[in-house]
Amino acid sequence: MSRVIGIDLGTTNSCVSIIENGQPSVIPNAGGYKTTPSMFAVTQDGKRLVGHLAKRQAITNSKHTIYAAKRLIGRRFDDGEVQRCIELSPYSIVRGQNDDPRIEVGGKVFTVTELSAVILKEMKRVAEEYLGEPVREAVITVPAYFNDAQRQCTKDAGRIAGLEVLRIVNEPTAAAMSYGFGKNVDEKIAVYDLGGGTFDISILELGDGVLEVLATAGDTFLGGEDFDRRIVNHLIETFQETEGIDLRTDTMALQRLKDAAEKAKCDLSQRETAEINLPFIASDANGPRHLSIELSRNSLEGLVHDVVQGTLKTVEQCVKDAGLEPGAIDQVILVGGQTRMPLVQQAVADYFGKRPHKGVNPDEVVAVGAAIQGEVLVNKDESMLLLDVTPLSLGIATFGGHFAKLIERNTTVPVRKSHIFTTTRDNQSAVKIRVLQGESEQAIENDLLGEFVLTGIRQAPKGEPEVEVAFDIDANGIVSVAARDLETSKEQSITVNATGTLDEGEIQQIIEDNELYEVAVK
Amino acid sequence: MSAARGAVPTGEERKPCVSSDCDPARLDLTPAEGYLLSRIDGATSIAQLRQIGGLPAGEMVTCVERWIAEGVLVVEGGGGQLGVTSQERPVAEVPLPTVDAALDLPVDTQEAVRDFLGRLGAPYHEVLGVDFSADVRTIKKAYFALSKKFHPDRYFRRELGAFQDPVERIWRRILEAYELLSDPATRAEVQKTGGGATGAAAEANPAVASPLQSARRMRARLTTLAGHRKMVGERRRKAKGFFESGMAAFRKDRWLEAAGSVRLAIAFDPQNEAYRAAFPDVQGRAHEERAKQVLKEADACYDLGDYREAFKFYEEATHYRPFDAELHHKAGRLAFRLGEDLRKAKEYASSACELEPESAIHHRTLGQIFAAAGLDANARRELQQALRLDPKDAEAKEALRAL
Repeated sequence: MSRVIGIDLGTTNSCVSIIENGQPSVIPNAGGYKTTPSMFAVTQDGKRLVGHLAKRQAITNSKHTIYAAKRLIGRRFDDGEVQRCIELSPYSIVRGQNDDPRIEVGGKVFTVTELSAVILKEMKRVAEEYLGEPVREAVITVPAYFNDAQRQCTKDAGRIAGLEVLRIVNEPTAAAMSYGFGKNVDEKIAVYDLGGGTFDISILELGDGVLEVLATAGDTFLGGEDFDRRIVNHLIETFQETEGIDLRTDTMALQRLKDAAEKAKCDLSQRETAEINLPFIASDANGPRHLSIELSRNSLEGLVHDVVQGTLKTVEQCVKDAGLEPGAIDQVILVGGQTRMPLVQQAVADYFGKRPHKGVNPDEVVAVGAAIQGEVLVNKDESMLLLDVTPLSLGIATFGGHFAKLIERNTTVPVRKSHIFTTTRDNQSAVKIRVLQGESEQAIENDLLGEFVLTGIRQAPKGEPEVEVAFDIDANGIVSVAARDLETSKEQSITVNATGTLDEGEIQQIIEDNELYEVAVK
Repeated sequence: MSAARGAVPTGEERKPCVSSDCDPARLDLTPAEGYLLSRIDGATSIAQLRQIGGLPAGEMVTCVERWIAEGVLVVEGGGGQLGVTSQERPVAEVPLPTVDAALDLPVDTQEAVRDFLGRLGAPYHEVLGVDFSADVRTIKKAYFALSKKFHPDRYFRRELGAFQDPVERIWRRILEAYELLSDPATRAEVQKTGGGATGAAAEANPAVASPLQSARRMRARLTTLAGHRKMVGERRRKAKGFFESGMAAFRKDRWLEAAGSVRLAIAFDPQNEAYRAAFPDVQGRAHEERAKQVLKEADACYDLGDYREAFKFYEEATHYRPFDAELHHKAGRLAFRLGEDLRKAKEYASSACELEPESAIHHRTLGQIFAAAGLDANARRELQQALRLDPKDAEAKEALRAL
């Protein structure tokens, strides 16, 4: 019986779980914590730190401490989200040779995939220490709204970490699996997942031991970190008004502010007011300056109100996609630390007309769900079957810059659809197909997954050759393409230029490089 | 240019016809191609097809050549080998795997898979095992139950051997059935067609149609082809009607009417050998009847002194009686008398001489025509010939002396 772990690779915190004797349990790290910060740092003397150790020295070593790498994974350097990260992050983000964002820290440039692998490796180590045996297989979760490149990179990160990734599971789905485990119910479930960096909403139907995703939507660049930023900006502006100093120019001050803002935010979920005290935050001709600002829950809610409303718009679209009314939902499950905020809970409850289910731990439920799915796959557990969907429409760019959908979003995976292409010019010997994911009618607004060139088409008048191209989305939500010349039954050669992902050679190189290093253990 | 028996006609003279091995319903045709195909009947040559239109001439020839190469058309005396054109691949072409206890799959599941493969091509509701009019709830329940059996996750990392591919195909079909039947937008359409197979559509790169749209287009083409076949049947029926009325007229000795009807019958059904065989006989009699009518008219005009009209009728009559020497002579003589077209006069007169060389009068007339034309040597020869045949011909003597 092989041991499979479930890993929730979060933007801010990660968690690992396993099924023991038929019961899911969350594995604590050596410090006794059930979650580990998704942070990695290189100290002045070249030591590599991960998790709590990295977080503790973040303020003094902000330039070489990396957090929220998940916001960059699978993206192109020129994406708007990456540019925003560059503005906000104290560490340096540079353009990589595949036009992907890479991070320079400790004098070395890392790909985002590598950095994610470091976190995953740590979670693997935590599990192995606890279990007393090696762990080789895992199920890793990703935001439901992740596209093909983001999923590929996550899977690659697992490989670099020395894990065989059995499945990439969507986070809300994993949460629903955890909720439904061992229950014999027939219910419609909404999972509202607001984590550190991403937001997902999924509507599922549970019945007869089958969990079917009806619809899913989200925003891969919206989360608790954005709430923090609003608070930080508020503090900066208040300080500027009272003291006349702009703290934005001081990276250490910014890091302290971020830390304090997060703490205050969490406190305000329990209390009505929180005091933010940062002595010696800055200095000027008159001497040292201290920051002491009181933040009320009301003020906080005023600062973030529009963000929460924005999530509800996405929820509304998702419920519609599922073909339901909000009132038809039987259970609402909240996932992700940010859902502890009373404002969020109230907004969700108001929308669905019922109080969210309280029986799940929002920080741990995703990892548990991943472990359950691992168990189902490997140990022939027939208790639950998961029918997940692809969150984004898959299609190709057509003449005039339009986007033609071939596989609609919310189609159950695995799925394969094939279409027949032909030439538009006489004696055309190759056809270029650009594959995209997204919902916009304009090709340019969607994510380019790759370009495929079909060569060796026989010389013929236009419109005659018939090449069948099969688009395949596997159970991980990862896209692959195969082509076949119908006239000769020959498999056509296709060339894939996946954007932002590493090729096999690069991955091998990284694995070799990493074998030379070991992350410091406390 | 006619082909000698046994030789293969070449180029534009070839007359293709649709091969009996080819089912036009399985071809992927544009409307223009469909029209062209309907015109191909084994009697129309490529040169003639060019003029019919429908496709630009160059494209039309390429299309026909392609069809010959693919075996869609055959040409008498030669033809292309049978090729495969694009067809719908049948859905259930999976070979039935044999039960193997050594596989990582329970034997009863293997049986279930084999059983299911038989239903793969069936209409969607049968695939799911529900009634034709089942509601969405029932469909979903059936889908859930089936997915527990056939979803690939159930067989993660299991050694399925020959069952691997069938299970995947079954799952895809189940998923397709569920999605199309549970979505109100596609449900009605699918129920109409039964969804027996998914169609494939060739499209300009890279605009693509959904399987339902392709199925619709395929149906439209089949309707056009069916219409064409219906039209061909109607033409044949009309041809038969014409032939029968032609034969009826023939029996009543109404030759001209009979000839007209049979000619129409041939036009509507050119491949019918019986019609062609009957025609010469009918036509012969029709000609004779016409000739009689015309001559009557000619004589009447002549008697009235309307020589010009009379000549026209005589001329027409010579078409129906090409071997009538006397008639030719009459025509020639009249032409000579009218004095307007000596060349024609000479032709008719000389035909008369050829048809009946022993007649002195024919030679005399011809001689006179030559003389009038100033061709003295020819005139002398003919007049001398006339006198040789009839020494007492005073008119010939006179003419000869005048030279």
